[in-house]
Amino acid sequence: MNNFVKMAVLFCVFTQVSFAQEVKFGKVSKEELKEEFYAKDSTADAVVLFRKVNVSFKYIESQGFIIEKGVHERIKINNKGGFKYGTVVESLYQGAKSKESLVGLKAYTYNLNGKEIEKTKLKKSDTFSEESSKYYTKEKFTMPNLKEGSVIEYKYTVNSPFYSSFNEIILQYDIPIVEQEIEVAIPEYFTFKNMTKGYLRYTINESRKPGNITFTNKTRKVNGRMMSTEYSTSKLDYIINISSVVMKDVPALKKEVYVNSMNNYRSAIKYELQYTKFPNSSIENYSSTWESVVKKIYENDEFGNQLDFKKYYKEDLAHILLGKTSENEKMNAVFSHIQSRMHWNDIFGYSTDEGVKKAYGLKTGNVADINLILVSMLRAAGLNANPVLVSTRSNGVPLFPTRYGFNYVVAVVKIDGKNIFLDATSKYNKPNMLPVRALNWAGRIVEKGGVSSSVSLLPDNKSLESMMMEISISEEGNGKGKARRTCTDYIAYNFRVSNSELTEDTYLEKLEETYNGLEISEYQIKNKKELGKPVIESFSFNKENAAEIIDDKMYVSPLFWFAQEENPFKTEEREYPIDYAYPWLDKYIVAIKIPDGYKIESMPTSANITIGDGIGHFIFHIAKNESGFQVKSDLSINQGIISSQDYKGLKEFFKAIVEKQTEKVVLSKI
Amino acid sequence: MRFSCYLVLFLCSTFSFSQDFQYSSLLINKELKDNANAVVRLDEMVVDILAQDNMIIKSKRVVTVFNKKGGKHVNAYAGYSNSTKVKFIKAVIYDALGNEIKKIKEKDFVDVSAVSGGTLYSDYRVKYIDYTPIGYPYTVVFEKEIQTKNTVTIPSWYFLDGYLVSVEKSIYTVNFPNEDLKPRIAKKNEEEYRVELDEKSNSKTYSLNNIKAIKFENHSPDFRYIFPRLQVAMTKFHYEGYNATLSNWNEMGKWMYRNLIKERLNLPESTKTTIRRMVKDAITDSEKARIVYNYVQENTRYISVQEGIGGIQPISAAEVDRVKYGDCKGLTNYTKALLDVVGVKSNYSRVYASRDKQIDVDEDFPSFLGQTNHVILNIPRENKEDIWLECTSQKIPFGFVGDFTDNRNVFVVDKDGGRIIKTSAYLEKQNLQKIEAKINLLLDGAIKASVLIETRGVQYDNRFYMEDLDRDKILEYYQDTWPNINNLVLEDYAFDNNKREVKFIEDININAKSYARPSGERMLFSPNALNKNSYVPKRYRSRKLPFQVQRGYLDVDSYIISIPEDYGIEALPEPIEIVSEFGEYKASVLEQEDGTLKYERLFLLKSGAYPKEKYGEYRNFRKKVSKNDKAQVVLIKK
Repeated sequence: MNNFVKMAVLFCVFTQVSFAQEVKFGKVSKEELKEEFYAKDSTADAVVLFRKVNVSFKYIESQGFIIEKGVHERIKINNKGGFKYGTVVESLYQGAKSKESLVGLKAYTYNLNGKEIEKTKLKKSDTFSEESSKYYTKEKFTMPNLKEGSVIEYKYTVNSPFYSSFNEIILQYDIPIVEQEIEVAIPEYFTFKNMTKGYLRYTINESRKPGNITFTNKTRKVNGRMMSTEYSTSKLDYIINISSVVMKDVPALKKEVYVNSMNNYRSAIKYELQYTKFPNSSIENYSSTWESVVKKIYENDEFGNQLDFKKYYKEDLAHILLGKTSENEKMNAVFSHIQSRMHWNDIFGYSTDEGVKKAYGLKTGNVADINLILVSMLRAAGLNANPVLVSTRSNGVPLFPTRYGFNYVVAVVKIDGKNIFLDATSKYNKPNMLPVRALNWAGRIVEKGGVSSSVSLLPDNKSLESMMMEISISEEGNGKGKARRTCTDYIAYNFRVSNSELTEDTYLEKLEETYNGLEISEYQIKNKKELGKPVIESFSFNKENAAEIIDDKMYVSPLFWFAQEENPFKTEEREYPIDYAYPWLDKYIVAIKIPDGYKIESMPTSANITIGDGIGHFIFHIAKNESGFQVKSDLSINQGIISSQDYKGLKEFFKAIVEKQTEKVVLSKI
Repeated sequence: MRFSCYLVLFLCSTFSFSQDFQYSSLLINKELKDNANAVVRLDEMVVDILAQDNMIIKSKRVVTVFNKKGGKHVNAYAGYSNSTKVKFIKAVIYDALGNEIKKIKEKDFVDVSAVSGGTLYSDYRVKYIDYTPIGYPYTVVFEKEIQTKNTVTIPSWYFLDGYLVSVEKSIYTVNFPNEDLKPRIAKKNEEEYRVELDEKSNSKTYSLNNIKAIKFENHSPDFRYIFPRLQVAMTKFHYEGYNATLSNWNEMGKWMYRNLIKERLNLPESTKTTIRRMVKDAITDSEKARIVYNYVQENTRYISVQEGIGGIQPISAAEVDRVKYGDCKGLTNYTKALLDVVGVKSNYSRVYASRDKQIDVDEDFPSFLGQTNHVILNIPRENKEDIWLECTSQKIPFGFVGDFTDNRNVFVVDKDGGRIIKTSAYLEKQNLQKIEAKINLLLDGAIKASVLIETRGVQYDNRFYMEDLDRDKILEYYQDTWPNINNLVLEDYAFDNNKREVKFIEDININAKSYARPSGERMLFSPNALNKNSYVPKRYRSRKLPFQVQRGYLDVDSYIISIPEDYGIEALPEPIEIVSEFGEYKASVLEQEDGTLKYERLFLLKSGAYPKEKYGEYRNFRKKVSKNDKAQVVLIKK
């Protein structure tokens, strides 16, 4: 407790100091220009020396409140790699009636020319406005006279009438930030919730100040025969709630492998409008709890209502359900009907675009069009079906109640107390298998009336890849045999997604390349299209140099071309979770016949390794038999997402696997 | 069952009368379906040259798409800009039976800026259809009409415009009012195809039917050298306000210099003084040029802005001098302007730049805009090879163009007359990598090694950027380069980028646990720890296209390996030497008097073009190299 107080006191002192050093636009120092690198991250191509973002609400009589976002940034360009930070792009949204705008741009490049500071102004002709699409314009500028060691500084304001979509302020860049001040000033009429995202720690300071709006009133007066217009003003006082953040030495966001989207880990303050309460009007709710967020979504015409239309598919449904009695049969029938009838237009969203009726007729639509038809039809078939709101992997993890946290919707059916997830936007997934894009921790089941609850989306059954192979080695060290490969779940899904449209020849050429120049014949595939079943491939093969001959000995890698020869984890440390999306199991059973006249001189030992609390498990079993030997290798990763705390263990685990799988069996002449 | 078959057929045929049966996909010739994700049923373009500054292009393209991959061949888009207008555009979609399922009118086309990555601003825009297929096959009929003053942009024509797509009928017609405005047209790669020509006094029509789909195969020549196509150019034309009549490279060079460059070479006096002062001690032109080039590299950066005439004309040197950035045209012109100030002659040169394809400007077919995508600077020298400068890079050495623009014909815009010249080439042995290493193999199978790597030529080009990487990235680079060395630790590193000799040296120390694997009494390890070449070209069941090795190189390795005292040598790989028309390979590992092993390796890959029949031999050559690079030494406990 005592410590906490000390900390708090320290923090106060700290913030006061930082406020004391006011950074003025245009006052770039020689020291800043001379500095050759940033001591805390000497490899940074550029460093933000100072950044200030001021968000405030301004009342305009004709428009109401608009948001003004003032941006001021000063950036040191350390080397040529940093030149890209000399180009700034702001995307501005334009709606049907109003649009965002960028105003008041001022920008200079500073260089040290001998002892003098040389200042170059950004001219109007160096700025560009690009109408990228119907909805977005990009305002761009690039700084003149940029050199290694330059400091650039710019400020501008973005005006936006779309206050309800005020969403987030990013606090972390791909380059370090030495100091930043963020201030958001919101009139009492708006209640926003703010949430922090990312791994950085900071404190949000809250304060208040008064504000007011002056209205101009026009009144016409008739005074006898004279008519006059009088102007009067009235003033409305209100309170402005200010939240501010001051941060120093914000590290750059660095990339790591097996991460779904780095933006999920970028620090930011997220804002979500919960409700507005203007004088003399009632509260308008936007979101505050998961329940109210979902209710707001549910009440939306493009969501809840859409579930109630039934007529448009009535006949089709009757036809589909003919002869289907069990709940499972009905679900499968409806799902495969929608999956084959509807064609996804690659657009995300939890609200319908065309509306279910029209989409059904057109056979195409966005995610909501398709999956809400699915829910509705499942319900009409008498099943306990509901929509599930989801945030895709690219959209980030929804940790707080927010409408913007969702961008996707799938269906869930409850049969015998078990949840079965369905998504008809993809052609290659079976029931209870969401496409990888939708596998993002948890979703929100929305029941009739808009009541909602959280549900885990992470798959718990393992996707399997199993390979059984018989191989006989000739005296020349060549291999010949048969193999059978079975894939289930996501491995089968991935197989179907990437290979369904290839001709057999092209596919085999690809496969031969994957297996290091194996020559494949008598290829057969089963269940290529039967989504519920595993993909089973079998083939015969020939392989030159399957074993290595040195003098009178032969060296055989017991898993041949399937051995894991490289550890996928190379870095020492890791900050972010390792994201495989789903748990998996890799199985190999290989029977090796050795050439006549040879005997086994030595073999690797068997092994059995587990990491963590059953996060991963590796079994390697090798045994002699009459004609040679047999190997069995099982590698399973039992969780889709592994925490970064387990990284070192995982790296060691794979190191052991690589060592075991690459150990050789030595054959010698009898 | 049989009955229902008849019924289906019957239904089809009745449909065919009432519907647009020509768009049904049922009757496509089987041969055209082989290897095809889509079939272009009709691809027709009519170019009407109405005047020197007025051209209308009408086109109609009908494509039947069989699967998702085939969707990219629909090509239903129209590009436009301030000088090129879309007059008409429409698309209609039909199902497999030829029933219309959707009509897309002009206002339903998506209209976006066509700025490509790496360009800050451009006035090019594009309209395209955003259609989600609701079943396969389907057919798109796309029509457009474009009008432009820039007759110089007259389109060239590909009868076949991609892999895995076939063509039923492809027709290109050009109408012209008089002989002066008759375009020059050259047929390319027509050997295996019968392109028909119907020539009239005021028109020319080229057509080709039933072109089978071609499957892409690795190492095949660029499609420009395989697909049947027409090259088209106007001799008398209009471009962004300019009228010109140019029929050969010589005139074109003079014209471009006079109109696009000459007026744009001015520089402020202060800059002139600076640069004059900088070169005052330099004697030769080459030394002066080196100083100027260095000045440009130190003071500018690449930013691309393309607008109107700016698509071909550089921004002025004075403007580059002010903002200190420009695109390839602007920066090349700026460098030229500075060289003019110090009295070194140089020429603005247009080139087709690409790292993996060396594409020549066609000397026999002069065209104003065509065939190039980049600009570099040429410094002519008497009795010596010309110097070529890549002005958009702040890092590459003076006079080095690397694989981006080397060894290809470029168009040199000389004020005394344009001409075609070949750029410097980096051939086989010039692309050298030399690795010398001392490797210590330890008792537990770990290795410690000190390694010296020298790279030149194109191999230099692939390495020198490393000097700008941070430690993590450098470690990552070596881990990727040597996937065979697990648990790699980079102890220390030092790089020397010798720009004058164009030579990069990496001096590094590494160690790795478990490099060699004990198996029982023995320990196996691969002496070629640092340069395993495991690439074996993909096997094709029947290769159809010729192949080429675009880039040759030479690798020379020499490692001294010391082995732990407790072990003796049981077996060493036999020395091997392979000489083939594709290159050479030598590898040997020998025990030396002091008990160490000496591993020596040489791999020379020649560049060359070969017929498809040789592909198997080439694979065999690479297989042997790959196999021998993996060869192992066996040690046994003493």
